[in-house]
This record gives sequence, structure tokens and C-alpha cells, in this order.
Amino acid sequence: MIEMKIALVGNPNVGKSTIFNQLTGLRQKAGNYPGVTVERKTGTFTHQQVKYQLIDLPGAYGIHPSSLDEEVVYRVLADPQNPNYPEKVVVIGDPFNLKRSVLLYQQIREMGLPAIFVINMIDEAERAGLVIDVQQLEKVLATKVLLTDARSGKGIDELRAALQHQPGEYAAAFDIPEEYAASVMQTKQITGARNNYNAWLTLSQKHHRYLPADQADELATLRKDQSINYHRLQIQETLARYTWLDQQLATTVKDTTKKRENATARLDKLLIHPFWGYVIFFALLLLIFQAIYTWSGPFMDAIDNGFAWLAAATSELLPAGPFNGLITDGIITGIGGIVIFIPQIAILFIFISLMEESGYMSRVVYLMDRWLKPFGLSGKSAVPLMSGAACAIPAVMSARTIENDKERLITILVTPFMTCSARLPIYIIIIGLVIPQTKFMGLDLQGLVLFGMYVLGVVAALGSAWVLKQVMKTSYKSYLILEMPTYKYPVVRNVLYNVWDKTMGFVLGAGKIILAISIILWVLGSFGISERFTNAEEIVRMENPGIDEEAFENRVQSERLEYSFLGSMGRAIEPVIEPLGYDWKMGIGLISSFAAREVFVSTMATVYSLGGTDDELTIRERMGAEINQNTRRPAYNFASGISLLLFYAFAMQCMSTIAIVRKETNSWKWTFIQLAFMTGFAYLAALLAYQMLK
Amino acid sequence: MSQYRSIASLSPGETGTIAGYRSNDIPIKVYEMGLLPGEVFTLTHRLPFNGPVCIRVKNNPNSIALRATEADLILIEST
Repeated sequence: MIEMKIALVGNPNVGKSTIFNQLTGLRQKAGNYPGVTVERKTGTFTHQQVKYQLIDLPGAYGIHPSSLDEEVVYRVLADPQNPNYPEKVVVIGDPFNLKRSVLLYQQIREMGLPAIFVINMIDEAERAGLVIDVQQLEKVLATKVLLTDARSGKGIDELRAALQHQPGEYAAAFDIPEEYAASVMQTKQITGARNNYNAWLTLSQKHHRYLPADQADELATLRKDQSINYHRLQIQETLARYTWLDQQLATTVKDTTKKRENATARLDKLLIHPFWGYVIFFALLLLIFQAIYTWSGPFMDAIDNGFAWLAAATSELLPAGPFNGLITDGIITGIGGIVIFIPQIAILFIFISLMEESGYMSRVVYLMDRWLKPFGLSGKSAVPLMSGAACAIPAVMSARTIENDKERLITILVTPFMTCSARLPIYIIIIGLVIPQTKFMGLDLQGLVLFGMYVLGVVAALGSAWVLKQVMKTSYKSYLILEMPTYKYPVVRNVLYNVWDKTMGFVLGAGKIILAISIILWVLGSFGISERFTNAEEIVRMENPGIDEEAFENRVQSERLEYSFLGSMGRAIEPVIEPLGYDWKMGIGLISSFAAREVFVSTMATVYSLGGTDDELTIRERMGAEINQNTRRPAYNFASGISLLLFYAFAMQCMSTIAIVRKETNSWKWTFIQLAFMTGFAYLAALLAYQMLK
Repeated sequence: MSQYRSIASLSPGETGTIAGYRSNDIPIKVYEMGLLPGEVFTLTHRLPFNGPVCIRVKNNPNSIALRATEADLILIEST
């Protein structure tokens, strides 16, 4: 079968992902571009004996990159050696901003790539009274022009069929200005560019970090000798193209309506109102966190009870012995510890993707810019910070849309303070154990405390951003130019794909770690070499003469755990964590949490079930019944609970985040500073809280 | 160009035509987004404390938000 690589390119907000989802359905996967961690979405489909591989490139306004996101687009399209270099490009445009989309199309054609042009959201355009002269546009663009409404699926079949279209001969719309002709020729010699326009693009580029060092040096010398200001070149090109487009496309789009009052304008009067806009935004946030807490409750209970029952039933069924323990205490308990978080994560992602889909997210950027700027952040940091409430990993990656280097670095460094979904289970369990279940001012007190934890994450993020802003110096200018699209009903399919994608990402990605750690914990907790481990039965008998049979069993179990490999590790760090109110068992939880926070609950479940004989208890009941052997008080009392909440709020305990920060910042220094600062701060905060509250 | 006012000087509801720029050193995005001389727009929203402004170019349903500093770089002929 013939295979063909197709790239989807377009301005932001043109419905590119909706088209992508329509074309590929569930045959899509997310990965990364080599070298950079910009999320790469690819999908496949077959049409008339051709297997298409579709790449969804990040949104870009033009080919001249002004953010990392746009740099990815440039690098994929400019370099035929790039593994993602497409054989054909589909440029997606917006009927209301046709010139802007055509500008991008022309740049791509002039780079030497065949392309077809799609005008999406055609239904909205028709309702607004726009009439588009497709035939004329096809002539100007020298390619096939398709009209789609991806939300309803209109025009998608035609688009599939048109992928085989061979675009006609294309005449460049932009002539390289005379005064730069010589420099462009020189650039061409240096880089071996395919044509003059590609050489021009290289010459007008801010960074040359993707070029071999000697070429980059030669180019720098060339630019200096000829006193070429890359920024001027970009402006010159864009202005020239717009002049051309104004002439050529003057009659392509006819606006048949005189004046329209659109629903978006009416909604914006309220949603970005200088006062009500903020009230609504914060009310929405409060609603989200109340929803996460209350809606997920019944699901969590059901999952929790289900797994407790499954573990007990399996334990009955299998012959007693180490294998039984591995299955019930290790694997089933471990899987239960993953599955139980699915409801909250799904609810959170439903809200986040509804906000993105509807167009509200860009209003959040607008509303928050003024308030984030003093902290060295931009309004665009609002998106990573809010996604940080789901998971720091995609959040850190989403910071790539921030154009300014310093703002981007600060955003990356502080985003892990935001309360990610991995902290959520810990918060939910601890809050459930130490905060009474009452109402406060008509609101659920536990839900309010949870909201407070989210607020605390925000305060920590902003506070450290402010500190970083004072420390870091930059001469880069920061700016905000942001398009706010019309409000749209979210496409259910897009929301579901997104929620599915992110939830499965958690279950499979984090789940693998959780499961592996659960098994490792079980092994470490079930074996030991010290005398008190191997001779536990005799020692207990000797120390407690006349003990009854059930109590004897329990004592032997906990004796074994304490002197197993795992117990030794926990006891080794006990002196350090005792001032925070934790015992050695919780120490085990902390150790394993450094792989990923979310394993805390499942670790505690494994540890406590190893130390007991009763298999029917749920995770929560086990934790609630646990007694700290040092203080003789419940292990999860008010003081140690608050201390634990604070520790998890601030500490950097996620290997994946550390890895992604290293990749995104390309700096071990900043990665290490972040790790040390967060964890040190967490320790101090937890210490203070416990010592004051105990 | 001192006789020109900038976008930043408009109040919500006021309309202007872009005349030029205060400096050459403005982000390429301003050009790419089509905020070019001759474009007619309305300032639709402003946030307090010198916050960003929101403008809508004529016949375009989408809005563009600009920080006050960027808005001050784009000059207008008042109409």
C-alpha cells in the first residue's frame, strides 16, 4: 500500500484539531518531536488504497517563529531531512481571517511544499452572510480549495478525496527585495538551502540553534557585515505579502450583511467585564473543585469497595503463601490505587477541555495578564498554571506558547507548585481523615479545605515566581498579543477524545510506575534478613507469653514488616521525618513518592495490609485505624495530617516532572534549583505546621 | 508623529483607524495578525489598573487582546 505523510497547518483557533479528529478518529497518538517536548499528535487513516499519516502541527500565524511552538512548525517544514517532513500540507484557514491564512499558505508553497487549502467553519461564515468566491481563490492559490464545517463533519469526505490532488504551478507572491539579493545568495551557499525563499527565511530567523555551529557562525558574521536586522526582514516580507493579498483577494470574500451584533460580544460584556469577569472566573474555579470532590465521591467509594472485595475474594481463592500475598497485597491493591483516581482526573479534564473548546480559556489569559505580569509571568502563563492543576507534565509543555524566554522559564519553574491531580488523591484521603465532615457557611468543609489547598498551590507558585523575577535579569521584551475567538459550543467528540487521552495517559503512564512500585514494595516488605524478621514468631511468643491466637498473628505480621527491607528503609529516615509528625511507615510512603506522588496512597495501602491480617478493609479504613507507634496517637491526626498536606503541596516529588523540566529548560542548573527549593521549602513548612499544631 | 494618538488612548466603544507604529521594534505578530495601517477597529473592552485592552477589527468576529504597552505602540488616526 502507498503511504503518504500529510501535515495539518493553520492559524490558532481555526478548528485544526477538530479536522484532525474527524479525519483520524481514535487512530491517533500523542508523542513528542525529537529533541523538543512540544506535543506531537499523529494519526493514520486509509482512503482509496492510500495509507495517510497525519501530523497535527501546532498553530502558527506565520512561518517566522516567535515562540517554541512556531519554531516546531518551521523546523518540520523547512528541513527535508526532518523525520516529520510531509509530502503534502493541508493549510486550514478561517473565513473571517482569510488573508492571514493565505499568507501562511503562500509561505509554505514558496518553501517548496505542495499544499491544498481548506476554509473551515464555513457554516458560521454563511450564517454571518459571507460569500466566498472559491473559483477565484483556487486560481490565486493555484491549488484545490475546500470548504468544511468540521464540527458537523461537512466537507470532510471531500477533503479526504482531495488529498490526492496535485496542486498546479505556483508563482511566488513575494519577491526578495533587491537590497538583500546578494546576502540571500550567500546564505544559500552557506546552508545549501533548496531555493532563495528558504535562504531568505534562514537569513530572517532570530535563532539559528538548529543549524550546525559553523553555519550559524558564518550567518552571524554575514548578518553583522551587511548590518541585517532579521526583524526588519520579517516585517518587510509580511507587509509586502499583505499588500499583494489586499489586491488579489479584494473581491474574494463578500460581506453581505451590514451590521451584526454577535452572541460573543454580548457574552463578553459579562465574561470579561472588569469586575464580573473575575467574579465569574473564580466562581467557576470554586465550582470545579466542589465538583471534583462531590461528584467523584460515589465512584471512588464503589471502586474502593470493589477492589477491597476483589482482594479478599482472591485471597480466599488462592492457596495461602507468598504468591497469594503478591497478587492480593501487591498487584490488586496497587491497581486499585490507580483506578480510584480516574473519576477525579476525568472530571478535571472535562472542565479544562470545555474551557479550551468553548474559547473561554483565552479570556482567562486576557483577564489574568495584568495580575500575573508583576510576578514575572504573562497572561499566557495562566494556561500552564491551570493545566498544572491536572498534571505538571503537559502543563510545563504548554508553556512553549509563551514568547518571552524569561517568562517561559519562570512559568516552567513554578508550575509544579500547582496542585496536580496526583496530589489530589492524597489530599482527598488526608482531608477525609483529619477534617470533620460538616458544613461551613453552607459549603462542604472538606471541599473548602481542598479548595484552600489549591489556593495554597497558587500562592506558592506566584510567590516563588516573584522571587525568581527579582533574581533573573533579561533584556528581552515581553508582550501579549492574543486572539480571542468567538464562543463556540464545545464539540463533544473533541472533549471526549481529550479526556480519554489525558486519563489514559495517567492510567498507563503513572499506572505503570504505581504498579511496579507496588510490586517492589511488596517484595521489599515481605522479605528481610535480620534476625527479628526470620525468627519473628519465636520472638513474639517469647515477649508475649499467653497471647491469644489472633493477636499473635497480627503481632507477627507487623514485626515482620518492621524488620523487612522496607521497614529498615523507613526506619532509616525516621529521625528526619519524626519532627514532621510521621512514623517509619509513612516514611516508606515518602520514599516511594519521590518516584511519583500518587503512589503514596497505594503504598500506604500495601504497607498497612502487609502489616495486618484483615483483607476486607478499604484503603481509607486502614489508614484511619493506623496508630503512630511513636506518639501512640492516630497516624493521621490533625497535626500530622496538615503537615503531610503541606509537604505534598510543596515538595518536588515527581521524576517525570523533573525529566520534563530538564528537557524544556535544557538546563540541569534550573532543574536542580527547582528540586532543592521546592523540597526544602516543603520540609520547613511541614515542620513548622506540625510543631505548632501538635 | 506626535499628532497621533495610540490605541491605548481610546475608551471602550470608540473606533479608530490604524495609522502606523511608534517604533520599528514591535512584535512580528502585530503584522501577521493583520493590524496594519488602514485597518478600522473598535476598542471593545479595557481592564482597570492599566490592564490589557481588547479590540475588534471591522467585519471580524474575533477579538484581539493587547497589553497596554503594545496598544501604546500602535498609532491611530482618530475618526
